[in-house]
Amino acid sequence: MSRPEELDLGLGLLDHQLVDSEGRRCGNVDDLELEGLDGDSPRVTAILVGPPVWRGRGWFGRLAAAVGRGRTVRVPWDEVDKIDAAVHLKKTASELRLGRGDDRARPWIEWLPGA
Amino acid sequence: MNKIFGVALGILAAIGGFVDIGDLVFDVEAVAKFGYQLLWVVVVGVVGIIVYSEMCGRVAAVAERPVFDAIRERLGFGLGLGALVSSEIVNLMTLAAEVGGVALVLQLLSGLPYRVLIALGIAALAVVIWVSPFEWIERIFGYGGLALLVFAVAAIKLHPDWGDVGYGFVPHMDTSEHLVYAYFAVGLLGAAMTPYEVYFYSSGAVEEGWGPKDLGINRANAMIGYGLGGFLSLALMITAGALFLPKGVQPQFIGTVPLGAQVPLGTIGLLLALLGILFAVGGAAIDTCFSGAYNVAQYFGWEWGKHRRPSGAPRFTIAWAVLLVLALLVIMSGIDPVMLTEYAVIFSVVALPLTYVPILLVANDRAYMGRYTNGRLANAFGLLYLVVILVVAVTAIPLMVVTNQGQG
Repeated sequence: MSRPEELDLGLGLLDHQLVDSEGRRCGNVDDLELEGLDGDSPRVTAILVGPPVWRGRGWFGRLAAAVGRGRTVRVPWDEVDKIDAAVHLKKTASELRLGRGDDRARPWIEWLPGA
Repeated sequence: MNKIFGVALGILAAIGGFVDIGDLVFDVEAVAKFGYQLLWVVVVGVVGIIVYSEMCGRVAAVAERPVFDAIRERLGFGLGLGALVSSEIVNLMTLAAEVGGVALVLQLLSGLPYRVLIALGIAALAVVIWVSPFEWIERIFGYGGLALLVFAVAAIKLHPDWGDVGYGFVPHMDTSEHLVYAYFAVGLLGAAMTPYEVYFYSSGAVEEGWGPKDLGINRANAMIGYGLGGFLSLALMITAGALFLPKGVQPQFIGTVPLGAQVPLGTIGLLLALLGILFAVGGAAIDTCFSGAYNVAQYFGWEWGKHRRPSGAPRFTIAWAVLLVLALLVIMSGIDPVMLTEYAVIFSVVALPLTYVPILLVANDRAYMGRYTNGRLANAFGLLYLVVILVVAVTAIPLMVVTNQGQG
């Protein structure tokens, strides 16, 4: 496991691409779950993904959340393998219940020749 | 062989910016109004797009991050969504216009009804995108567009006043219509630096799997590709100047553009010009269609890319298909494609800062650019062009309104 020694959560983590253990892109870091903000050792406990999470992302976010479909997916911080420009995960997207929009859309085009 | 094909991405991206349907008419109109006075603006635009394409290509190669990833990361969810919506509107307008352009050229070649050719054009684009690997799409449209080099031969054969042409590369304003001049300057700059070029270029770099070892290819693509795009644009303008200026003709239609090659070179010239325009405009349609699908997929973190099978990136595939259908509806409504691109260019300049600021910021982020972070030269040019972009973004729409779209 390799993680940078110092990470700016706002710039280096939030809104970054999630990539599963098979190299599949499976969502973005829509929000973070933090713990211990009132104590002296705050830490990130999970990555939150999905339209309901956008509600916390300002006026546009609330608007998008109202239109978007899908549930919130919580990816525990322990599932993070490595962070570079993207956030790489230890498991596959389906194990983490990520990228389900693509799974739902697949039957629409799968029947076409060459798909 | 690979070396020859290696710059196809840059050429295709550049063709969308320099010789698409809007430029073809805008360039010729600019010359009809002001002679060669605005040639220098094309050079300014070429350098600007080379600077930013090199930068976003480098980010794509080193960090595997295309432009819309960077936009969401740096602008956040809200402003990023604003950038997404505006870029999608402009992409759709441009795509619809390019499809209209494809139909107009096919009409000149075949004489069939315009609306039938729109449907045929869309169907052909859909099939090409579906069956061809990314590399072949690049090659077909990028190198097909090079038939436009016929305009360079035509320009020489028409014996323009080279002194006048040369003076055009020195910024000057020899007219009382200052605002109209400014409108055309802003429009030419906006067209040269239109954002979908960098969306397409950076995502294409990821499609081709560029890594740090490909930074030389990136530089070559940016310089040769956009250099060629600018060269073609200048050749068109010089041809138009030599042909139309002495006669006082004010060309308004796409059909007048290939005349520039027909008059000095005959039927062969005309055919090459039409073929070149067909591939260039078709290529611009591909640029904008892909850009639209790339942007939405990257913003929401979906799987994307032509390097995946269509079912491997289903929402991306559906996104480009939906864009094609929407473009079909827009252009079938009978809207004039030339006017539509003019609007698209002017509106796209408003989105310019939202695209180029994040590229500059990310290219300066040592955290994942490491030793490939922007150097002083890239930053000096980047900041200089940021000022140009901001001026263009602020003035474009007011100028369009007060000059009545350059009609004075």
